[in-house]
Amino acid sequence: MEAPRFQTVTFLEATATVISTIIGVGVLALPRIAAEAGNSGAPLVTLLGIVLSTVGLVLVTALGMRFPRQSPVEYSERIIGRWPARGVSLLLVAFFATLTGLAAREFAEVVVTSVLPRTPVEVTAIAMLALTAWCCRANLTTFAYAHLFYLPFVLAPGLVIVALSLKNAALLNLLPVVGNHPDAGAIAAGALTVSALFQGSFVVAMVIPGMRRPRRAMAASLVGICVAGGLYLAIVIATVGVFGAAATAEFLWPTLELAKTTLLPGEVLERLDAAFLMVWVTAVFTTLYSTYALTARALRDLFRLGDHSLWVTFLLPYVFLIALVPPDIVRLYQVIEWVGRFGLWITIGYPCLLWLVCLLGGARGDEPHAN
Amino acid sequence: MTVWNRWFGRGPERSSRPPTPSDILQQKTDAKVSGRLDKDVRFLQDLFGRNDDFVIRTLQMFDSRPACLLYFSNLVNRDVINEHILKPLMGAERPRRGLRDARGMKQFLAKRVIYYGEVHYEHRLAKVAEALLRGETILLVEGLDEALHLATRNVVERAVEQPETEQVIRGGRDGFTELLATNVTLLRYRLQTPNFRVQMLTIGRATKTKVGVCYVEGVANDTLVQEVLDRLQAVDVDGVIDAGTLEQFIEDNHWSPFPQIQNTERPDKCVATLLEGRVVILTDGTPFALIVPAVFTQFYQTLDDYTERPLMASLIRMVRIVALIFSLVFPSLYVSVIAFNPELIPTKFAVAVAGGRAGVPFPAVVEVLVMEVTMEVLREATLRLPQQVGGALSIVGVLVVGQAAVAAGFASPITVVVVALTTIGSFATPAYNAAVALRILRFVLTVLAGIWGLYGVMLGLIAITHHMLSLRSFGVPYLSPIVPGDWQGLKDSWLRAPLWWMPRRPRHLFPQDPTRLAPDTQGVILQRPSHPLDPVRPRRRR
Repeated sequence: MEAPRFQTVTFLEATATVISTIIGVGVLALPRIAAEAGNSGAPLVTLLGIVLSTVGLVLVTALGMRFPRQSPVEYSERIIGRWPARGVSLLLVAFFATLTGLAAREFAEVVVTSVLPRTPVEVTAIAMLALTAWCCRANLTTFAYAHLFYLPFVLAPGLVIVALSLKNAALLNLLPVVGNHPDAGAIAAGALTVSALFQGSFVVAMVIPGMRRPRRAMAASLVGICVAGGLYLAIVIATVGVFGAAATAEFLWPTLELAKTTLLPGEVLERLDAAFLMVWVTAVFTTLYSTYALTARALRDLFRLGDHSLWVTFLLPYVFLIALVPPDIVRLYQVIEWVGRFGLWITIGYPCLLWLVCLLGGARGDEPHAN
Repeated sequence: MTVWNRWFGRGPERSSRPPTPSDILQQKTDAKVSGRLDKDVRFLQDLFGRNDDFVIRTLQMFDSRPACLLYFSNLVNRDVINEHILKPLMGAERPRRGLRDARGMKQFLAKRVIYYGEVHYEHRLAKVAEALLRGETILLVEGLDEALHLATRNVVERAVEQPETEQVIRGGRDGFTELLATNVTLLRYRLQTPNFRVQMLTIGRATKTKVGVCYVEGVANDTLVQEVLDRLQAVDVDGVIDAGTLEQFIEDNHWSPFPQIQNTERPDKCVATLLEGRVVILTDGTPFALIVPAVFTQFYQTLDDYTERPLMASLIRMVRIVALIFSLVFPSLYVSVIAFNPELIPTKFAVAVAGGRAGVPFPAVVEVLVMEVTMEVLREATLRLPQQVGGALSIVGVLVVGQAAVAAGFASPITVVVVALTTIGSFATPAYNAAVALRILRFVLTVLAGIWGLYGVMLGLIAITHHMLSLRSFGVPYLSPIVPGDWQGLKDSWLRAPLWWMPRRPRHLFPQDPTRLAPDTQGVILQRPSHPLDPVRPRRRR
């Protein structure tokens, strides 16, 4: 994917990339999605979603390790033929561009609703997207450095909120574990939506060609999704435990409500929600950074260009337009759910298909260069 | 075609100016010393005759042969010329055997007559002219086809003093001076290994500045040394005024606010970095040495961190980091909390802040920016003023202006506190250039805070950190050893681990010999110490 001299990404950096890509704006709405689907069984729904996305991630990583020096765009052409693969790759580009736009819009809505009520949502969104685009021109080494560097800021708010709010939690709110009146269909649908929140982990396919030792990619993916999934699960448990399933389903962003209930010992700061939200900017940024970079690099590989920075600038207006498509926040969440479910075909279904063809046809990439 | 060129002024410019001395030298690079005194002297007189300090002393040597001594009177040590050159030349005894041939004469002059250390012959007139400009004295003798060079250069030199910009509590009190030779002496005296190398370059067409590239062979990475030499050799400019101008020619990113090359006045610091595997660039005419490559952590470290014991050093270093972060984000956080999220701070304090700001007509961001700019003006003014006046000005500025601004309802007391803390914080950063970088970025962050509150501050901080992550200094990532993570390096980043616990040189410099501490030293240090003066034992011995 990149020139051989950029094969610098270490295990730690790859893991950090997976974690901080997964943890994004989705964490704010996650408890609501899970509680709507399974009421008190929300943690179960989340767990199922994590398992499903782990399957997808394992497939993507296995494919990447089979073709350790090629990007998904390149090896898919090798597996299922040039033109079909290009079609799907184009779809992949469109999907991740949409994902970037929608995530930016979602976070812009959060910011406008809670801290900047008089700022237009377009302005907040374009500021974030412009920053992401500016950063995206960096090479893969810097990309991985950034994810490692921001990791503490991505993990800290979630962990602190969970730790501070657990004293208010009641175990009763989490029982029964399978939820009241369990409905397999609703739980499955909820699990699918939850698993759509993990789609950013597809970025590992982009990182593997830059890894110093691609053999450790699988470990990085698994550790990454365990940490990110564990944090998501903890947040769902804490939210439902504090508010109860019914109230959680009523909030637009239950995690933000949870942040409001927390208080630092000593009352140095009276409220923490704004502070948490600001640290979460980092988490959202890393997610956007990954999906944006993924889009730009996939386009570069698709058009056989040497440099991705051209696409970075070129993509910005389109991503911004996508961010503006949903007219209001209710429709925004409908679109996000729909796009997310559709995306599962690309991030889980497509790797599944590629893997099967690989197994049947025995296609294999070149051995990684000795390093 | 010629008509075309003439019409459109494209032709070669007809130069009407008379040739300058350097033009003449370039035309006659291979002119040789002829051996005819009047001809050679006339050549040099044509070159330098218009300088009033150019001295041509004609004399008759011991064998009444005419000779000529040439020098720039302000560049040479005249006592030496009188005592050790002129006197023996004129008064030496004529050798018994006649010196008919030129070769015998040359040998005789250099070996028997002149009492002087650095002497050599040169036959190219262009080189002779260069040597004169360097401060050497030239002896031309009738009948000799070579000129005798005598290194009589004498330049005013400042004494070795304590460096003013980098004071330490504990550590050497000597600093570099302007002369390259003195600076190399200071390094050699501290670093007596045969592996210490100083490679000399001459940069600057007019200034002919000597630049010494110092490194320790076997420690510094070869490719790094080669890259430094390549980058320096690529510089072709009329003058190198200071190490700072050289720095701008060889740094990696010219538009970054962050310095990617460290400078220091301290020889002990240079030795420490040389032993880490870095390269030190000494420039003639400036007391500042450049250290490459430089990473961000270096800019908040001082020599005191290593001369003091680890616990104290770590604490002080952390204080410095806090000051650094203060100077970057404090005003912007203040602006965004006051203007956008007053609910974050405790109610009582929020009421106090609001009370203080009640009479201030401007938005918080304008207030802070105005005060910050005022502070910067004060700081710059104190820097430029003579020292005797500067102290008075800073008191007048800080106390009176701050108090008056509050009394006039121009700024709230808390703003003054915030601005003052920020400024003090920026003074706690040891490296001036890194402090300036953060000061510039502080303004950017404050403006962002005024527009988008905390959200803007976060976006700004992400942009800054991402820029730092993408920055490289001679290939070394700027935030090493934090990212990319290196456990050995982390011991000397925001903490300072005990010296015996850091047996390796920084890995991001790829030193050729990575170990600094012998493996058994660590064991010896960690062994239980013996207690020769244990109060029990001497009594037993009695």
